[in-house]
Amino acid sequence: MKCEWVRENVTLHVYGELADDARHELEQHVARCADCAAELKAEQEFHALLSQERAAEPTPNLLAASRMRLQEALETAEQGRFWHRLAFDPANWLRQVRFSPALASVILILGFAGGVGTSYKVFVHQPSGLGVSPAPASASNDASITGIRSITQEPGTNKIDIKYDTVSTLETQGSMNDQRIQQLLLFAARNNYNSGVRMDSVDLLTQKPDVSQVRDALIYALRYDTNPGVRLKALDGLGSFVKDDVHVRDAVLEALVNDSNPGVRTEALRLIEPVKADGSVRGVLMTLAAKDQSTYIKSQARTMLAQLPEID
Amino acid sequence: MAGQERRIDDTILIREAQRGNRAAFEELVRHYDQAVLRLALHLTGAEHDAQDVYQDAFLKAYKNIGSFRFECSFYTWIYRIVTNLCLDHLRKKNVRKEDAPVAKDGNGGEYNLLEQVPDGRAGANPERDLMRRQLEARISGALEKLTPRERMVFELKHYHGLKLRTVGEILHTTEETAKNTLFRATQKLRGALADMR
Repeated sequence: MKCEWVRENVTLHVYGELADDARHELEQHVARCADCAAELKAEQEFHALLSQERAAEPTPNLLAASRMRLQEALETAEQGRFWHRLAFDPANWLRQVRFSPALASVILILGFAGGVGTSYKVFVHQPSGLGVSPAPASASNDASITGIRSITQEPGTNKIDIKYDTVSTLETQGSMNDQRIQQLLLFAARNNYNSGVRMDSVDLLTQKPDVSQVRDALIYALRYDTNPGVRLKALDGLGSFVKDDVHVRDAVLEALVNDSNPGVRTEALRLIEPVKADGSVRGVLMTLAAKDQSTYIKSQARTMLAQLPEID
Repeated sequence: MAGQERRIDDTILIREAQRGNRAAFEELVRHYDQAVLRLALHLTGAEHDAQDVYQDAFLKAYKNIGSFRFECSFYTWIYRIVTNLCLDHLRKKNVRKEDAPVAKDGNGGEYNLLEQVPDGRAGANPERDLMRRQLEARISGALEKLTPRERMVFELKHYHGLKLRTVGEILHTTEETAKNTLFRATQKLRGALADMR
């Protein structure tokens, strides 16, 4: 019976899945029973044989290609029904639409400009007395066609009417006090795929951190931007608010604990220096001083804690 | 501590993703996608199939993240989606296997002709490379003889080092069942590879 139990559990033993008491029991038995010792040895050899073949890591190219393909698919994918999310968490929904005016303005500007551009081309190039307009070919030179809405032919004529959408590149100028400039910068900070553009927009936004929407955008960049340079810029802009704005302080603490970049973490540590006596900051510092993987962060956290008065 | 930090981090990202923030979801994807792709690649054995599983898994996660209620970790949740897709793939593959270009070896055993196509990459030691390839082919053949579920439990335990309790959670079963499945799988593999030890 004992030998049978050992044979049934020897696999779990090799994989480290036996409870401590069962492992002890098995080891005691194997030390006395030659057959079971042979079974254990065979299982260990088999495990070693299988371990010679390791699951291949996907190549960086495959991973990058998969990510790109997914990113494209996500652009057209829809999450669960909107009303479903709305019904479940209206408070979050309200927070989410806070930035809608900025986004709506940008979309309106682009849509209006695209529409005007298209109409202008069609109007200017429409030759009188001819039923066919050559406009689309020239329009595509400075505006990308994003879709064809409808194609109709008037019955009995050879006149074809095509409605299409375009997106064109526009330019706007203004100072940092210009609301439209601020809206575009806020949009760029969150939505641009080019990290250089995000960096520039975050850099400019740091001039206006007293505007609450700007501060929120900086917090967002600090939390989610994939580029450490952009996160560092956002930290720079938020630095002066660590003392008075608890949301900023939380975001900086999050960066200090979670950020993957040592430079960002070090900067976050420097920024919380003035508020090191705060309860939440002290707690984080104690954790870092005890367990952080970075020797520098660990020693700095200890130094900062040592400068604090003892609390009972 | 790292696990706990990751969990806190994930929680923030999941909540953002549930509010429709795609950037947060993409960040979440990057936390797990290498492991997901590795699992899919090893189970399907083909890059294009692995890419399909990867794509389907994360799209499914994106569409259904609103229903994620933090009852289990995101890790378990995404693995559950991936393993279901892989199980479907394995089941279909088992059905299709009859159509695979197979041949008989000297002992009457079948082997897949496609697996015998030489690898063009230059190896430092051709003889050792050949032996490694033979071993891989044998192990791969033995793994394919397992049932999809046995294969999945073995894969998650042996190649991904997951605890059987986690494996049970992922596969919607008990730890005890996962243990029994792992035992059956290793017994079958030992039988199939007995002459190689």
